[in-house]
Amino acid sequence: MNLILKKDQLNHQLNAWRQDYEVHAPQSLENYTHFLPLQDEFELALDKAHNTRIPPKALFLPTSEALLKFTRVGGYEQVPTETAPRLIFGIRPCDAHAMTMLDTVFEQERYTDPHWQARHDATLLVGLGCHEPCQTGFCTTVGSGPFNHAGLDAILTDLGEIFLVETLTEKGERLFSQLETATEEQSTQASELQQAAAASMPIAFEKEGLKEKLDQNFDSPYWEEVSRSCLGCGVCTFLCPTCFCFDIVDEAQRGERVRNWDTCMFRTYSLEASGHNPRPSRVERTRQRLSHKYTYWVDQINQIGCTGCGRCVRYCPVGLDIRAMLRKAQQLPSEVAHV
Amino acid sequence: MPDLDALKAEAKRLLDEGVIEMVIGFKAGDTPLHPQPAFFKTSEEIDQLVYNALCQNNLATYLTRFPKTQKIGMLVRGCENRSVNALVFEGQHPRENLYLIGIPCEGIIDWRKIIEQAGEEVISVIEQSDNTVLVESKSGYFTLEKDTLLHESCARCIHPNPISADIVIGELLPEGDPALAREQVAAFANLSLQERYAWFRQEAERCIRCYACREACPMCYCEECFVDHVSPRWTESGTTPAGMQGWHIVRAFHQTGRCTSCGACERACPMDIKMTYLTEKLNEDMRQKYNFEAGMDTKTPPPFSTITLDDKSRFIV
Ligand code: SF4
Ligand code: SF4
Ligand code: SF4
Ligand code: SF4
Repeated sequence: MNLILKKDQLNHQLNAWRQDYEVHAPQSLENYTHFLPLQDEFELALDKAHNTRIPPKALFLPTSEALLKFTRVGGYEQVPTETAPRLIFGIRPCDAHAMTMLDTVFEQERYTDPHWQARHDATLLVGLGCHEPCQTGFCTTVGSGPFNHAGLDAILTDLGEIFLVETLTEKGERLFSQLETATEEQSTQASELQQAAAASMPIAFEKEGLKEKLDQNFDSPYWEEVSRSCLGCGVCTFLCPTCFCFDIVDEAQRGERVRNWDTCMFRTYSLEASGHNPRPSRVERTRQRLSHKYTYWVDQINQIGCTGCGRCVRYCPVGLDIRAMLRKAQQLPSEVAHV
Repeated sequence: MPDLDALKAEAKRLLDEGVIEMVIGFKAGDTPLHPQPAFFKTSEEIDQLVYNALCQNNLATYLTRFPKTQKIGMLVRGCENRSVNALVFEGQHPRENLYLIGIPCEGIIDWRKIIEQAGEEVISVIEQSDNTVLVESKSGYFTLEKDTLLHESCARCIHPNPISADIVIGELLPEGDPALAREQVAAFANLSLQERYAWFRQEAERCIRCYACREACPMCYCEECFVDHVSPRWTESGTTPAGMQGWHIVRAFHQTGRCTSCGACERACPMDIKMTYLTEKLNEDMRQKYNFEAGMDTKTPPPFSTITLDDKSRFIV
């Protein structure tokens, strides 16, 4: 159902939700925006940037968290996950889309991550569509779009003085039940705007046949070329909304088993206890990062594991651009001769 | 700005005459704010060479990746030249296998300061001759004073000229005022202990431990960084206060007498964390107490890399 949320009523609405939820919304921190819980006084930064610097995955998989506590003399106890109801307001469609992909990792039939699941079950996602799409994002190229519904309970379209609200789940409907219904005119205006926004985004690279190209060129010199200036830092993966790797460490002094973000771009990620490293250089690590997103996810869930949010493009300290890397991959030979 | 054609001509000559096997420089990036470090092996490739104020990386960070026998040419600004010197002193590459193409540096633009004024969606950036920068973004056109966009490390730079390059392209610039560097140190050092700790904590707590600062730093080339060592662990692994503070403090201290004030660490950080107030304090201490600045030549050992029998600290000898 389409409803109307007047912009001058927004703060009032957010405060009303605060009675029942911990409401997280993008606010300014340093030079960027960050999902922070709303306090009595708050200032939203919805227009400052499309995406928050740190993706909202951090609200479900924190950079570090204690899984259990133990003592030296024996015995341990699990650290319970906080499950206070949360509402994430202003998440962009690419980031919400990423949540559906991460669900396939953390909420598999056989292995469900209780921490992820508890947080996810307790959280509602209210999205804000991008009527003026960003420069580095390429959501439409990877099969999503600036008004994609995936993962969201409701999505807002900015119509100037008002937001048009489309509720997408029952929970989303309940959230906005107080609002008045949108006129047909307003709904049409919104859908035109949504289509125009999607149409304004250039196709960043040809998706067709890309997986095959990457699979067939596993040993190509291409990988050395595209990774030559890579620093091997954690920026592109830590800031990626779909990267989920973690490492589990026993902090013996504090008696805690913790889980920390980890990344395939680090040397230590694939370093084995023997000292052998199957991905010995940035070449193999870069291949892993791209291949995971553009071929292994496709094998596993038949979807590209990249939502086109553009963070890795924007924040790579040496300006490496995944779009350019993939355009280049499309130039690779299709059939590699086998000797 | 140095004459780009002169830079290219020299780079081509070096490759054509076989003086070196590769030139490390920059090429145009795929996004307007980020030119990319590039490795040119033939004089045809040199056509892609670019140099402008957005070239934010310290190219010396790549030096330790190549065999010491390889003859390498590198574009060096003041700080890069000093980083190379410090690396040569530490035995990371023999000076005779390097050819340094020096560029007197007018300062690096911090892209964050561009988006602060022109918004996130930058389309193009053009440096103009009158020391202004024309930025086109989705929010419109902006003419910005270049001086207001400089990264802090550059605004307070003492030695903008390459000091021991094999050739310098462009006019030498006046030296910077060390008082500016001291001002920044004082802004931190003169605070009370509690205030200093609050400052430190506030910066460190945004850290996600991506180690972009480490990887961007030419002097962080340890095969195994202390944070990656597991037995024993030198610091907590995660983003707990102890973990993040341990990382920041020890990284800074490992740079004592080695940091050349390039600011590459800060520019690489995705979380806009300030960290040069720590290394600059240590650099100032080196100047004050030991009359030493890192990388001014390839022979003088940094004070903390020397041990003498008359060392004041008896525990060492
Ligand atoms: S952010 Fe850039 S430099 Fe860092 S690992 Fe990714 S591609 Fe490499
Ligand atoms: S790979 Fe890059 S563009 Fe794709 S989802 Fe991750 S950060 Fe965003
Ligand atoms: S922080 Fe210290 S141990 Fe780590 S790479 Fe830098 S110098 Fe080496
Ligand atoms: S670059 Fe920034 S966020 Fe990354 S480890 Fe260094 S200080 Fe922390």
